[in-house]
Amino acid sequence: MAANPTALEIRDLSHWFGDFRVLNHINLRIAAGQIVALVGPSGCGKSTLLKAILGTQPPSEGSVLVDGQEILAPSRRVGIVFQHYSLFDFLTAEANVAFGPKLDETSVAFRTFQFPQWRKLRKQHMQEAREFLERVKLAEACGKYPTELSGGMRQRVAIAQALILKPKILLLDEPFGALDEATRERLQMMLLGFYQENLLATKEGRTPEYTIVIVTHELNEAIYVANRVIGLSRFHDDGDQGAMVVYDRPCPIFHPDDPKDLADFVEQREELRRAVFDPSYIKHHSKYVSFWQDLEAAEAAVGPIES
Amino acid sequence: MKIQHVTVLGLTCLVALSLGCSSSKSGSGGAASGGSDGPAPVFSLAWSEYPSWSVFGVAEEQGLIDGAEGAMGSIEEKWNVDIVLHLRDYDTCITEYGSSVADAVCITNMDIMSPSISRPAVAVLPTSTSDGADACIVVGIDNIDGLAGKETLGLEKSVSQYCFERVLEQQGKDPSNFPFRNLDPGEAARAMQLGQADIQSIMVWNPFVLDTLRKRTDSKVLFDSTSIPEEIIDMLVIGKDSLGKPGGKRFAYAALEAFYAVNELINSSETRDETLVALGAKFSQLGLEDMKTVVTQTKFYDSPEKGLGLMEDQKFQQETMPAVAEFLVSHEMAETKPTFGFNSADSQLNFDSQFLIGIRDGVDPASVE
Amino acid sequence: MPVTPFRWFITASGSYAMIRQPIPAWLFWSLAVSGIVVAIAIYAGMSVYQTRINPTQSVIPGLKGFAEGFDLITKPRGNDKNPKPSWLVTDSKVTFSRLFIGMGLGTIAAIVLGIAMGAYTGVEAFFSPIISFMAKIPPTGMLVIYMVAFGTNFKMFIALIGFGIFFTMVQSIYQSVKKDVASDHIDKAYTLGASEFEVVLEVIWKQILPRVIDNIRLHIGPALVFLIAAEMLFASEGFGYTIRQSQRFSNMNVVYIYLGILGTVGLLLDYGLMRFRRWLCPWFGE
Repeated sequence: MAANPTALEIRDLSHWFGDFRVLNHINLRIAAGQIVALVGPSGCGKSTLLKAILGTQPPSEGSVLVDGQEILAPSRRVGIVFQHYSLFDFLTAEANVAFGPKLDETSVAFRTFQFPQWRKLRKQHMQEAREFLERVKLAEACGKYPTELSGGMRQRVAIAQALILKPKILLLDEPFGALDEATRERLQMMLLGFYQENLLATKEGRTPEYTIVIVTHELNEAIYVANRVIGLSRFHDDGDQGAMVVYDRPCPIFHPDDPKDLADFVEQREELRRAVFDPSYIKHHSKYVSFWQDLEAAEAAVGPIES
Repeated sequence: MKIQHVTVLGLTCLVALSLGCSSSKSGSGGAASGGSDGPAPVFSLAWSEYPSWSVFGVAEEQGLIDGAEGAMGSIEEKWNVDIVLHLRDYDTCITEYGSSVADAVCITNMDIMSPSISRPAVAVLPTSTSDGADACIVVGIDNIDGLAGKETLGLEKSVSQYCFERVLEQQGKDPSNFPFRNLDPGEAARAMQLGQADIQSIMVWNPFVLDTLRKRTDSKVLFDSTSIPEEIIDMLVIGKDSLGKPGGKRFAYAALEAFYAVNELINSSETRDETLVALGAKFSQLGLEDMKTVVTQTKFYDSPEKGLGLMEDQKFQQETMPAVAEFLVSHEMAETKPTFGFNSADSQLNFDSQFLIGIRDGVDPASVE
Repeated sequence: MPVTPFRWFITASGSYAMIRQPIPAWLFWSLAVSGIVVAIAIYAGMSVYQTRINPTQSVIPGLKGFAEGFDLITKPRGNDKNPKPSWLVTDSKVTFSRLFIGMGLGTIAAIVLGIAMGAYTGVEAFFSPIISFMAKIPPTGMLVIYMVAFGTNFKMFIALIGFGIFFTMVQSIYQSVKKDVASDHIDKAYTLGASEFEVVLEVIWKQILPRVIDNIRLHIGPALVFLIAAEMLFASEGFGYTIRQSQRFSNMNVVYIYLGILGTVGLLLDYGLMRFRRWLCPWFGE
């Protein structure tokens, strides 16, 4: 997958609130098609990093590049699904999904003064929206308002809403935090399905469609849904200067149909807990940052990874 | 916890306040039982600020009447009635009379007609007549012909409109060529004083006449009520029902006596100025010089003889009152005219001169029921 | 345990007396109707009592008085040469056109400024103190200022109603923009490709629309109060004018009928707007 283009690049990003330094020289490169879990103790700066990628809070220093262009304000290149407020209350599920194409492709002037054309285009948008809802298995919810949907349904609609614009990167901010266990698992499997589609695209020489950063506090979830886990933490030898990326390693890839065997996670989860969450375990910040080297090593051993 | 504390505190304050209010009320009520021949019956009199009506305010200042319930002035003591004074807006006075909240009201001969249909009225005292106190004030208009087609602002269906149309008729004009638009007289005067371009003519009463002439120096009186002497009469009217109550007649006598007592103060050279100042304080805060003008424009019926003179005047009985009643119906103020008469107890509006005569002849309070 | 009257009542009324317990429809509607019947009965009692004191009284008219009053206001006016419509027709035309235009303009202005204040901190800082102050001033107390600024005609009534509701409405609309529109929603709209204007039009406006409609409903009452007060002083036709003149001539039957009409129109407007909101914003719930 190293052949895939870079979707997100973070260059030497630091952030202060007053005198308090939250993020310290963050460097990160995420390639198209990767599904990355971002974990870290609370207050470590995950949200600050997310806001910088989203463009709502530009960093004090350094830059964020998506698809090679610097992010200075929210734009359609970065999609987001929030834990709450993920949908617009006043739109039905399909209108919520069609909202992106509407805002992206047309202007107020067009919708007002070229109303007949707009109506035609609107029909296409709604059709497209329904197809996306089918993709997240919500065809039956098309005409319903968010208040009429369950939490899990709302998050699936929100993912469809973000995906329809084909963002270069999709941020999921604790998307399943408020859901019950069963719903949560179904949504996790949906993400695994996306990854399989990415692999297929790579194999066929296309650029994979889904590049996702998922923020979560569940380590099992992180390892299960992602193919790469990044840990952000102040618990390293230069911790007073703020959080850095202290963990960046690949993790096992599950197929949606595989049984979810927790035993597979145990070793990496313990490593992750120690490296990222243990305040007494002080080490050099780059000790567990080896994703790209690991990938190269693996590719050198078995050739380009395909499945 | 916080909410409980605040609730308890709030309720305590409320209870304390309401206790405080009710106890002050019952305090004044207690004094009422101090009358000499048993408790004095209570009668209310609604008055608004107007030269010959503010007299009742001066009477209170002089200690002749105590306007509070349960407290007695010297004239109240004499007649053993407790007069409660209501100082209100003119319109509110009329409403108080109509709704029987007030026993007596200061009102004009025109405005009493409609209320008297539902609450029969007895006019016991003419207080004054407008002799220039109602005036049409214009800016940039030279004569009555120049006013034709231009809007005049004033209170519709009132003495203003009556005076306006009566003078026009007198001058041989057709009032329908002179549009009259409703506006509260105070606001009409203010609008003209502000110099609003579309306002060229207003028809208002004092103090607005004086005030406008002073503040808008290019304005002048086109005509006024001097052309129709003794047609607009300011009066004291008592409800027939109230007059029939025990002490009702004593109330009428007491009100008349108070009115003439203050008039004596105005007419006596020693007390004239200070009484006019006191009167002015109850009439738009006018000063002495203004009040001197006002009392010429509002001719007081300052003695029982003068009051009787009006009531017995044939022109007033045969021409003026029928004309006023006609105006009432033609201007949709009432569907039917009230029956009115002079010393005729059955009329809905009865001009009753017995109290004027009684005061003139010095009737003995003890002989009045 | 002894059966006290209180306990008996609780048992007999079952769960109906408990907080928020639903009651059967027949009970709900019979209680609703009894409320109205009680109000009418109290009025009728007062009317009979007053009539006993003074048979010709017109302060609290009975049925006959109301019939006469209705006749008064519906009778065509003027004469053969110059016919005029009845009071009711003339007054309704002017009063309701003043009301609707005044409320319409006031609402539009309040929406524009309310959104601007909710969206831009600079605008909020500039307007917030003066708006909060003005919202506490009774508009009828400033009638003279409106007269100076707008004359004594149509414009003045429009201005009084418009400004009368404007300040309080701006306050609640801008609060609604701040509270009901989450920053996340706005950020989200940008990620979906919205322009700034589209964020206002497609996100903020749509989110607060039901609140705006409810705000209009709440302001019908105050707007009527301001209008009637102004018409009493300044108008030569309209509900306020006729009410004042009728009061002066003790035609309380006309006054009550007019007040009844105002109340009914206010109620219908309120109900209509509520239905409109439910139809337009089904997502907002009841």
